[in-house]
Amino acid sequence: MNPILLEAVLVCYAFLLLLVEAFNSRMPRRYFGWAAVVGTTVVFFMTFFVDSSKMNPEAGYYGFYAADTLAILFKRFILLVSVCVLIMAIEFAPVLVRYLPVEKPDAGSGEMYSLVLFACAGMMWMASAQNFVMIFVSVELVTITFYVMVAMMRGNRASLEAGIKFLILGAIATSLNVYGIAWIFGTLGTTELPEIGAILQSIDSSLFPSLLFGFGLIFAGISFKVAAFPFQFWVPDVYQGAPTPVTAFLSVGSKASAFVVLMRVLESMLSNSELSSKILFMLSLVAGVTILMGNLSAIPQTNFKRLLAYSSIAHAGYLLMGAASIVSGNSGPAIAYYLMAYLISNMLAFGVLLVVGKSTGSDELVHFNGLGKKSPWLATALTLAVLSLAGLPFTVGFFGKFFIFSSALQAQQFILVGIGILGIGCGFYYYLKVIRAMFWLPASKEQSISSPIEISKPYAVMLILLSISLIIFGVYPEPIFNLIP
Amino acid sequence: MMIAAIPWILLLSPLVGCVLILFFGRASKLLSSGIGIFCAGLSLLCAWFLWLKGGVVEVPSFPWVDYTSFGKQFRISIGFLLDDLSLPMLVVVTTVAFLVFIYSVGYMAQEEGYWRYFAGLCLFLFSMLGIVVAENFVMMFLFWELVGVSSYILIGHYFRRDSAADAAKQAFTVNRVGDFGFLLGILLIWLYSGTFSFNDLKGKAQVITDAAPWLLTTGLVLVFLGTVGKSAQFPLHVWLPNSMEGPTPVSSLLHAATMVAAGVYMLARIFPALSLSPIALEVVSWVGGITCFLAALMGTQQNDIKRILAYSTISQLGYMVIGISVATASTVAVFHLFTHAFFKCLLFLCAGSVIVGMHHEQDIWKMGSLKNKMPLTFIMMGIGTFALAGVPPFSGYFSKDLILEWAWIKGTPVFWFGAITIALTTFYIFRLFFVVFLGPPRSDEAKHAQESPRVMLLPMLILSILSLTVGWPFIGHFFIQPVHPEHVPLFLRFILIGFLAVGALVAYLLYAKGPLKDPIQVAVFENRFYIDNFYDWLVKEIQGRFAGICAFVDRWVVDGFVKIASGCVWLFGFCLRMLQVGNIQAYAFYFGAGILLIFFLLLSK
Repeated sequence: MNPILLEAVLVCYAFLLLLVEAFNSRMPRRYFGWAAVVGTTVVFFMTFFVDSSKMNPEAGYYGFYAADTLAILFKRFILLVSVCVLIMAIEFAPVLVRYLPVEKPDAGSGEMYSLVLFACAGMMWMASAQNFVMIFVSVELVTITFYVMVAMMRGNRASLEAGIKFLILGAIATSLNVYGIAWIFGTLGTTELPEIGAILQSIDSSLFPSLLFGFGLIFAGISFKVAAFPFQFWVPDVYQGAPTPVTAFLSVGSKASAFVVLMRVLESMLSNSELSSKILFMLSLVAGVTILMGNLSAIPQTNFKRLLAYSSIAHAGYLLMGAASIVSGNSGPAIAYYLMAYLISNMLAFGVLLVVGKSTGSDELVHFNGLGKKSPWLATALTLAVLSLAGLPFTVGFFGKFFIFSSALQAQQFILVGIGILGIGCGFYYYLKVIRAMFWLPASKEQSISSPIEISKPYAVMLILLSISLIIFGVYPEPIFNLIP
Repeated sequence: MMIAAIPWILLLSPLVGCVLILFFGRASKLLSSGIGIFCAGLSLLCAWFLWLKGGVVEVPSFPWVDYTSFGKQFRISIGFLLDDLSLPMLVVVTTVAFLVFIYSVGYMAQEEGYWRYFAGLCLFLFSMLGIVVAENFVMMFLFWELVGVSSYILIGHYFRRDSAADAAKQAFTVNRVGDFGFLLGILLIWLYSGTFSFNDLKGKAQVITDAAPWLLTTGLVLVFLGTVGKSAQFPLHVWLPNSMEGPTPVSSLLHAATMVAAGVYMLARIFPALSLSPIALEVVSWVGGITCFLAALMGTQQNDIKRILAYSTISQLGYMVIGISVATASTVAVFHLFTHAFFKCLLFLCAGSVIVGMHHEQDIWKMGSLKNKMPLTFIMMGIGTFALAGVPPFSGYFSKDLILEWAWIKGTPVFWFGAITIALTTFYIFRLFFVVFLGPPRSDEAKHAQESPRVMLLPMLILSILSLTVGWPFIGHFFIQPVHPEHVPLFLRFILIGFLAVGALVAYLLYAKGPLKDPIQVAVFENRFYIDNFYDWLVKEIQGRFAGICAFVDRWVVDGFVKIASGCVWLFGFCLRMLQVGNIQAYAFYFGAGILLIFFLLLSK
C-alpha cells in the first residue's frame, strides 16, 4: 500500500463525516465520534501494511514526503493519540454543548470529531515532511484546526480568550516560520531537507549568517509549537481555556509532531560542524531554561490543568535536552521513547482530569481532595500517571527520562543534566502534591457529595489500557524500544 | 518446542497455584490444598522429566532489558540455566516441597489461615525454583528477594502472636544486610566484567583476575555476604532459630531443606569464579568453619525441639560452605546439600509429628517415653538422627565425611572445627533423641501423646527411605557425582568415626537413663554466646541512639535547610508566574525578545 494513502483516507473520511453531519440533524452527535474512532483505528491498522518502497525517491515529486520507519512510527503514535482524544471528546461532549450558543441541545458538537481527524492528518504529514514547503503547509493545517478547536466552547469566555491568544501568537509564529524558510531558500536555492544537508557539508562560511538567521526564525516557529522558552507563554492560558480533550491533543500530539519536524530540520542543519556547534549551544541553553521555567512555575500552581500545562513545558525542556545531545547518536530513539511515555502518562492524567472536571465543574486542585476515597480507581490511575510524569521507576516515564539523561551524559552535557535533575526534583514536589490532595487531604465541605464519579464503559477501558501499558512498559521497555529505528 | 515449554511450566505452575489459591482458596480447605499439591506435583513431574531426559536443555531466554550505555551492554534476560547443577537441585527442591505440601494437609488441618498458608508455600516454591533455574545474577537476585518475602509471610503465619511477627521481621531484616552485600557484589562484578550471566562469568572472571585480583576477591566476598544472610552463616545466623516461630512444615521446607540451601547453591553457581580467588576461598572456609562449630555448641544446650534442629541446620550449612571452599569441585558441597535436604526435612517433619502428638508442646524436657506412644515417628526420627550424626551407612556419613576428607587434604585448620563438630553434632542430636523418646514421660501431654495421621506419616516414610539410601554411592551418584580426593589416609576415617563415637557415648551416659532435667548447664551455650543479646544491645543502644540523633538533626537542621531551599524555589516560581501576565501584548513582546536572544546566540561571534 502506498503510504500516502494513509492521510488521504483520513482526510476523505473526515470530509465525509463533516458532510453527513451537516446534512443529517437527527442522528445523535456522539455517533459521529464513534465513527471517527473507528476510522482512525482502521487507519492505524493500515500503517502496518504500508510499503515504503513505493516511495521511490527517483519518482521526483515524492521528494517532499518521507515514509521511513521514524515517520511511520510517529504516524501510529499520532493516530493512537487521536483515538484517545476522540474518546475523550465524546465523554466531554455534554460539557461542550453547555457552552455552545445553539438552540437544539445536541447541535454543534459534531464538527469537533472531524476537526480532530483533520488535525491528525496534519500531524501525520508533519511526521513525513521533508521539505520546508511541506512542513509549512502541514504545520498550518494543524495550527488552523487547533484555532477552531481551542475556541470551540464559544459561550465560554476562557475558551474564546484562549482561542484569540493562540490565534495571534500562532500567527506571529507562522510569519516567523515562513520568513525563515524564505531566508534559507534564498541562501541555498532549495527547500528539500536532504538536499540542504548535502549542500551544507561543503559550503562557504560567508553564507553562515544568513543561514543561521533563517534557522533562528524557523526554530522560533517550531519552539512555539513545542512550547519552549521563551515562546511558551501562551501555553498555560490556552491549555486552561481550551476544552480538555483539545488540551490533551495539544500537549501530546502537537508537541510530538513538532519534535519530529525539529529532529528532521536539525539533522540536515547539523551536517555542518561549524554550524552545529552554535546551534547546539543555543539548543542547550533553551532546553535548560525551559526545564527551569516549566518546573519552577509549576510549583505554586493550584489549578491542575495549569499545572499540567507547566509540566508540559518542563517535558518539552527534557525533550530539547535530548535534541541538544544529538551528538551522542542515541538521542533520536531516546526522544521517541520519551514521547511514547509522555503520550501514555499525559493522556491518562488528562483522562482523569476530564471526568473529575466534568463532575465537579472545575479543574482546581482542591477538587481532587478526597478523590482517593470517592473514586479509588480513578485516583489510582491518576497516581500512576503523575508518578510516571515525575519519572518514578517501574513506570514508563522512568525509562523515558533514563534514556534522555543517559544520552545527555554521553554527549557530555553535564550542566544540562544537572539542571534536569533539579527539574525532576521540583517535578516530584508538584506531581506528588496531586497524590497528596487525592489521598491525604479531606474533601472540602461544598463537595461533600461522596458519590463516585461515573464514567462510560469505553472511557474506563481506555483509562485501564493506558494504566496497564504504563506499568508494563515501565517494567519491560523492550517492545517500544524495538519499534524505534 | 515442547521440551522448551517444560521449564516454563515447572517454574510458573506454583505461581499460578498461588494466584488461584489467593482468589478461590477461601472457599474450602480442600480446594486450597488441592490446588497447592497439584501445582507442586506438576513441578515435580517436570523436574523429574527434565532430569531423566538428561543432557543440557536449551530454553530460549527472554530478553528483559537490553541497552547499550557508555559502550557497555546492559543486558538482563529471564532465562533458564539447566545443567548438572540445577537439574538435581530441581529434583530435590520439588520432591521435598511436594512431600511437605502433603504433610501440611495433616499438620495444618486445625490451624487458622489455611489458604493463606498454601498460597505462601506456592509463592515460596516459585521463588525457590526461580533461584535454581536462574541464568544470571539479576534474575537470581530477584527470586532471592522473592524467597525473602515469601519466607517473611510464612514465618509470620501466626502474625497475631508477637513473637512470630518479630521473628518474621528479624528474618527479613537480617537477610537484608546480607542481600545488600550481594547486590553490591553483583554490581561490582558487572562493572568490571560487563556480564550478569553465569555462563559468561567463567571466562570473564579470568580476565578480571589478570587485571586486578583484589577486585574479583572483593566482588566475590560481597556476593558471599548474600550466602551469609540466606544460609544463616555466622554472624548473620541469628534469624534462623527465631524463624522456628513459623509452622513446622515451613521450618522443614524453608529453613532446612531449600531456602537456606540457596546460599550454598549460589556459591556452587559462582564456583568457577570463586576458585580463582584464594583469598575469597579462605574467607568462605573460615566463615563456614566458625559457623559449623559455634552453631553445634549452641545446639547442645537448647531445650526447644525445633531450635535444636535449627542450630543443627546452621551447623550443617557450615559444613556445606566449608565443602565449597576446600574441594576442587562444587559437587562435594552440593552432595551434602542433597543428603542434608532429605534427612533434615525428615527430622523436622518428625519433630512436627511429635509436636502435634504433644499438643503443641515443644520443650523436650516435657516429653519422654514417646517411643511407646509414637512408634513410627520414633523409628523414623531414629533414621533421621543417624543420618544427621553421620553413622555409616546412613546418607549423612557419605557426604559429611567427604567434605572433611577434602578439608584434610587441603590441610586447613578448619578441618579440626569440622571434626570436633562431628562429636558435638552426635551429642546434641542423641540428646534430643534420648530425652524425647526414652526415659519417663515428663508431663501429662507426654503420657497421652498420640501417633500422627497417615497423611503426615507417609511423607515421613518416603523421606526416611531417602535419608537412608541417597548417600549410597550407586544411588547418590545417580544424581550427583562428587569428586573424591585421592590418597585419603585410613586413620582419618577412624578419627572421624572416633569423634562420632565419643559424642554418642557422652550423650548416652548423660541422657539415656532419663534424667528429669538437664544434668549439665552451660549458660554461655544456652544463651548462644550472647550474640543475640549483643545485637539487641547494638540495635537498641547504638543504633537507637544514633537514630535519635539523626532524627533530631533531620528535624531541626536538614528540614530547616529544606524549608529554606523550598521556600526559595517557591518564591522563584512565584516570581516567574509574574511574567505570566495574561495579556497578549506582553506575550508578543516576549516573543520578540526571544527571537532577538536567538539571533544573539546564533549570530554573535
